[in-house]
Amino acid sequence: MKTPFPMTRRHALKTVACGFGYLALAGLTAQNAARAASNPLAARTPHFRPRAKRVIFLFMQGGVSHVDSFDYKPTLYKKDGEMLHFDDARAVAKTGSGAAQRVMKPLWEFKQRGQSGRWVSELFPHMAKHADDYCVIHSMHTEGVAHGPATLFLHTGTTNFIRPSIGSWVNYGLGTENENLPGFVTISPSSGNGGPRNYGNAFLPPVYQGTAIGRSGLPAADSTIRNLANSSLSFSEQRKQFELLRAINQEQLRRNPGDQELEAVINSYELAWRMQNNAPEAMDISKESRSTLEMYGIGEEPTDNFGRQCLMARRLCEAGVRYVQVNYGDNSNNPAWDQHSNMPKHEEHARKVDKPVAALLADLKQRGLLEDTIVWWGGEFGRTPYAQNNGTGRDHNPGGFTVWLAGGGIKPGIAYGATDEFGHAAIENKVHMHDLHATILHLLGLDHEKLTYRFDGRNFRLTDVYGHVVKEIMA
Amino acid sequence: MMPAIGFAADDGIEFFEKQVRPILIERCYECHSQEKKIKGGLRLDTKAGWEQGGDSGPAIVPGNPDASLAIKAIRYTDHDLQMPPKTKLSDTEIETLTQWVKRGAPDPRVQAGGTASGKAGMTVEEGRNFWAFKPAAKPAAPTVKDKSWPQTDLDRFILSKLEERKMRPAPAADRATLIRRAYFDLIGLPPTPEQVDAFVKDKRKDAFERVVDELLASPHFGERWGRHWLDVARFAESSGGGRTLLFKDAWRFRDYVIEAFNNDMPFAQFVREQIAGDLLPHRDAAERRRQLIATGFLALGPTNYEEQDKGMLRMDIVDEQLDVIGKGFLGMTIACARCHDHKFDPIPTRDYYAMAGILRSTRTLFNYTDNVARWIDTPLPLDPEAERVMQEHEQKISALNKQIAEAKAREKKASGTVAKATDMMVGMPIAAESLPGVVVDDSRAKVVGDWKKSQFSKSYIGDGYLHDQKTGKGEKTLTFMPPVAKTGRYEVRLAYITGGDRADNVPVTIFHADGEETVRVNQRDTPPIGGRFISLGQYRFEANGEGYVLISNEGTSGFVVVDAVQFIPVQELAKAQSGAANEVAQKAAAEVKRMEAELKQLREQGPDRPQAMSVRDDDTISDTQIHIRGSIRNLGQTVPRGFLSVAMQGPQALLPTAQSGRKELADWIASPENPLAARVYVNRVWAWLFGAGLVRTTENFGTTGEAPSHPELLDYLALRFIEEGGSSKRLIREIMLSRAYQLASISDGKKAWAQSSAADPENRLFWRQNRRRMEAEQLRDTILAISGALNLSQRGGLTIAGAGKIDANSTEAQSIEYGYQFTDTLRSVYTPAFRNKRLELFEVFDFGDINAPVGVRNASTVAPQALFLMNHPFVLEQAEVAASRALASGSRTESALVDLAYRTALGRLPTPRERDLAMRFLDCKENERQDAEARQKTLAQFYQTLFASADFRHIN
Repeated sequence: MKTPFPMTRRHALKTVACGFGYLALAGLTAQNAARAASNPLAARTPHFRPRAKRVIFLFMQGGVSHVDSFDYKPTLYKKDGEMLHFDDARAVAKTGSGAAQRVMKPLWEFKQRGQSGRWVSELFPHMAKHADDYCVIHSMHTEGVAHGPATLFLHTGTTNFIRPSIGSWVNYGLGTENENLPGFVTISPSSGNGGPRNYGNAFLPPVYQGTAIGRSGLPAADSTIRNLANSSLSFSEQRKQFELLRAINQEQLRRNPGDQELEAVINSYELAWRMQNNAPEAMDISKESRSTLEMYGIGEEPTDNFGRQCLMARRLCEAGVRYVQVNYGDNSNNPAWDQHSNMPKHEEHARKVDKPVAALLADLKQRGLLEDTIVWWGGEFGRTPYAQNNGTGRDHNPGGFTVWLAGGGIKPGIAYGATDEFGHAAIENKVHMHDLHATILHLLGLDHEKLTYRFDGRNFRLTDVYGHVVKEIMA
Repeated sequence: MMPAIGFAADDGIEFFEKQVRPILIERCYECHSQEKKIKGGLRLDTKAGWEQGGDSGPAIVPGNPDASLAIKAIRYTDHDLQMPPKTKLSDTEIETLTQWVKRGAPDPRVQAGGTASGKAGMTVEEGRNFWAFKPAAKPAAPTVKDKSWPQTDLDRFILSKLEERKMRPAPAADRATLIRRAYFDLIGLPPTPEQVDAFVKDKRKDAFERVVDELLASPHFGERWGRHWLDVARFAESSGGGRTLLFKDAWRFRDYVIEAFNNDMPFAQFVREQIAGDLLPHRDAAERRRQLIATGFLALGPTNYEEQDKGMLRMDIVDEQLDVIGKGFLGMTIACARCHDHKFDPIPTRDYYAMAGILRSTRTLFNYTDNVARWIDTPLPLDPEAERVMQEHEQKISALNKQIAEAKAREKKASGTVAKATDMMVGMPIAAESLPGVVVDDSRAKVVGDWKKSQFSKSYIGDGYLHDQKTGKGEKTLTFMPPVAKTGRYEVRLAYITGGDRADNVPVTIFHADGEETVRVNQRDTPPIGGRFISLGQYRFEANGEGYVLISNEGTSGFVVVDAVQFIPVQELAKAQSGAANEVAQKAAAEVKRMEAELKQLREQGPDRPQAMSVRDDDTISDTQIHIRGSIRNLGQTVPRGFLSVAMQGPQALLPTAQSGRKELADWIASPENPLAARVYVNRVWAWLFGAGLVRTTENFGTTGEAPSHPELLDYLALRFIEEGGSSKRLIREIMLSRAYQLASISDGKKAWAQSSAADPENRLFWRQNRRRMEAEQLRDTILAISGALNLSQRGGLTIAGAGKIDANSTEAQSIEYGYQFTDTLRSVYTPAFRNKRLELFEVFDFGDINAPVGVRNASTVAPQALFLMNHPFVLEQAEVAASRALASGSRTESALVDLAYRTALGRLPTPRERDLAMRFLDCKENERQDAEARQKTLAQFYQTLFASADFRHIN
């Protein structure tokens, strides 16, 4: 870390007191103003003993087919090609009832893996090697049949209302461990399907909003936090300019002694300066060893891009970022895994993410980080066990799908819940997206019913009036 | 637990105790008991609990399992009512509970506690006495001890409170500060140094009054004050949310609001036009246009058009409209009552659905069936002469369209009858590559089921064709995926071999970027295009998208035969058509081509009929049922349409059966007898001039909001406002000419200040002005004004580059938003207001979220703001432009340049120490390199430093 300016004691105190530089002055309730007067991003004591300190969410945008990957259903082979009645979610939303559909067997061969004997298909050979490291939840279900509503639900717990993202809630609940970095980061987010609302703070104070690193479509190698570098000044020129700014601001403060608002602005510059000099390093993977780069598939296709994103996520976690979302998706209306007509294309996506995801798990494990990091892998919904329109793809399936969780406080190597014999609807130990949110918060030491924010005259929470903590998956 | 005492052995109690109670305890109590939780208002730990039931009504009908909600829930037959939610009961458990209900649901648990009801909030009757809903009585201005201080009645209200608390008001702001404040407040731009000088020197008594009047008359007044209202109206130019759609015509609403403020439209009219403009009488086309455009207020919310459940989508839209009407005009969070009676405010769920009935009888969506829904574009009437020209033009277009259709029919018929024509070589195989566009041969289709390959008829494309052998109906499909390299519209054509034994209703589904479409093809007819193809229509496909064409044999009786699918970019169609065979067809095709060119020219040269995003009354006008817990599948009692009962002065008037009731709703809100809307509005105006309202929660006048600091002043201003005909300009003028408005905002260092500050640190009593943060638009406009780059001449119109000829209801426009480059230098009120892609400066400076009504902007201080001002190219560029402008102004010495920079950027001269700092920075740089370029670069850095300085962001 560069320290271009020796900090005076006064500065040190100020910046520590003001954290990420936020001070709410207007438009906040008295309660929040009191909170903001201290440091809104200081690491906070959770409601109870946390099992994990941070989250990495690997978002598989578009909806991975669980029946082709983790949810093994022998019935699909037996009944392949048969026309059977299903309560198809899209048909139900549109007409109120289901329809006849042609059962389609998995396209990839399933095998039992590891000590635990969990079923994982050949779609994800690398992740399969880690079957003993994660807990597979087969009984997920959620709201929203189309990508937009379901993606917003995944991130904000609502299909349509303007609500904070789960990362913002976590940031609000726990603060950050490194004030020189944002507490909530999203790598290569998509502009589509809700775009910035998926990492927005909504009514929470802006300090809790997600900070984007790059955007979908921009190579990870070129991605950074915006405005972190000055395009026209050299370091020494900008340093001189910064000294002038500091002096001018001090003079303005002298004219208005004790003015907290001016002090807050001044502190935000100190922090910005430190971020500018620290954050690039947290994102820079160039000093990683060759074996690490190779493990993530960096420098080879098709894994280079997602490998970089995953490795960056590990570095940010190490540096103290609380919530890191790694996005595999794009900006289209049929994002990434959305194979309505061409299931084999799943393999193309799998080849890009499988190795890096496995590497991330191995890397976190070898560094001892997995113990207090939650890794969450999954999409906004799953896919149907039958062919859409009797074709060669699968439609969205919000009624039953699989995600996996690994790391802090989670029982590894187990499978929880089940879908019906086809993998269509969750039936046993169902876990709603609200439940998953509640469980993740719980692992972080936060009670989802107590993590509230007062807005519009009432308390809001991530899980609205729902959510059960799934204790059975906890170690 | 209650023991089963006093019941005979055969009354079913033993059955209950042994078999039923354990299931209830194990599987139901977690969410439905006094000890744990009472979800949905339902208790199952007492008999009275299930008898009374929860929000959906009684849970059990003794003796009738099929009519019992609880049994329905455990059977999992209803998608929306499945209990327990996590895991279905076993079949044995379900059978046990069903038997129990069948036997009359014997239940000994009669002595345990009561039921779940019990409401904490205020009743409607109690609510009528709450300050916000009470009728306003005009209070007399209080008498004050210091008679010399007040300039207006308003001042007496302020001073009287201060005297009560033995506080002294702050001294007046100095003149340079005051004029800067007035400029920013009224037009959102800084005064030039010359304007400051002129005012400081103007010793006339009414000098400030003159400035205020001049600024109120400026066209920039509407740009500043319209922006305030646009915040409340959550104005945006795209839908955001799921699949964002571009609101191509939303700018008309923005311009309407700006104009309304510039013309000082009476408030009542402003309310009526936005809620019910389409239902109002009008004298001429201009008035009608304005009224229709105004209803955009209801249409431009963050609607999730992609929601598949259109019933839910409708209620979500109604909810959003109630939210913006409630917060915007009534200061009420009505939307809380969607699922249950308002927990705190006197708003019963009945009231919500009474108002919802009005909006549910209003149509906001074009239809209720589109896969991705769309709003309503209403063509606008023009002034008589323009209308005459327009109608002539439209008639020409429709006549031409008719001729084109006729010519196309001739062409189709002709090419159909010459199926053996040579240029499509019917009767012989041809290569796919020889045809225009992209041809996907059947050999490249994804095949489901047993299709038979054939080359029996030689008239095929590529490598033979496929047929379903007339067997396995409903089991076979073929999927054709277009290798789309470029996003755009394509004509999709199917090639097949015709015959008398073919199916006459082959379902072909086109899954395109905007939805899906199923076309039925009669394969007994000769393919009309060259004897080989039939057109399936034109659709948009995205590059590397998931579009496809799926042919099924479902529901068919004859042979289904498929040869190929062709995708032709529409712009290449003309080329494709030239391939049509005989003379008649060619002649017709040539005519079509000529007329289409003519049509294109006509469209380009002729006038465009303007359209507005608007709402209208729906075809069916009806009252709405209460949606229990907000669910569209759990309907309760029907509620007659009406307004907010707690805020009504008299009984609810009956609403018309032939109209939605929006007009009556607007009349009620705008009525001089209704004090609520006027209170909410004058409070907003106060907040926009002081940085905080008399009620600081500008959107919440309910019990969870804050009470007014000066209730009498609020009523005084509200009644004055009504008396003055709802004139915003007069209200603003009255407030600005008060002494209270003109007070200093920062300390003079005197003892009195310290005392007042200690007594009222939050300035609830307005003993001083509030120093305010520059809002995002002021920040941008000010930087542009200083650099001289601000373009003040274009005021209004469509400002989204590239959106001119886009179909407003197409998703094509989406890419405009995602890839938008913000390059204009118009005032910020005209910056394209996309919900998913904001101008970065807006996003960073508390103007990122435009999804919900906002009365007072947040004022955060975060590091990304500092990074923006330090490093963003916009700031760097504008600082350079400002520096070169300063150098060109003729200021010779560095000292003069420093003075000029301070005066233009901060509205004041530098202090001696500031000048010293600046001189050292500029000199030290100059020593390094003496050339003019270096001088300009250094000066640019200096300007940028001033933009970044703490004072720049504040208005004193």
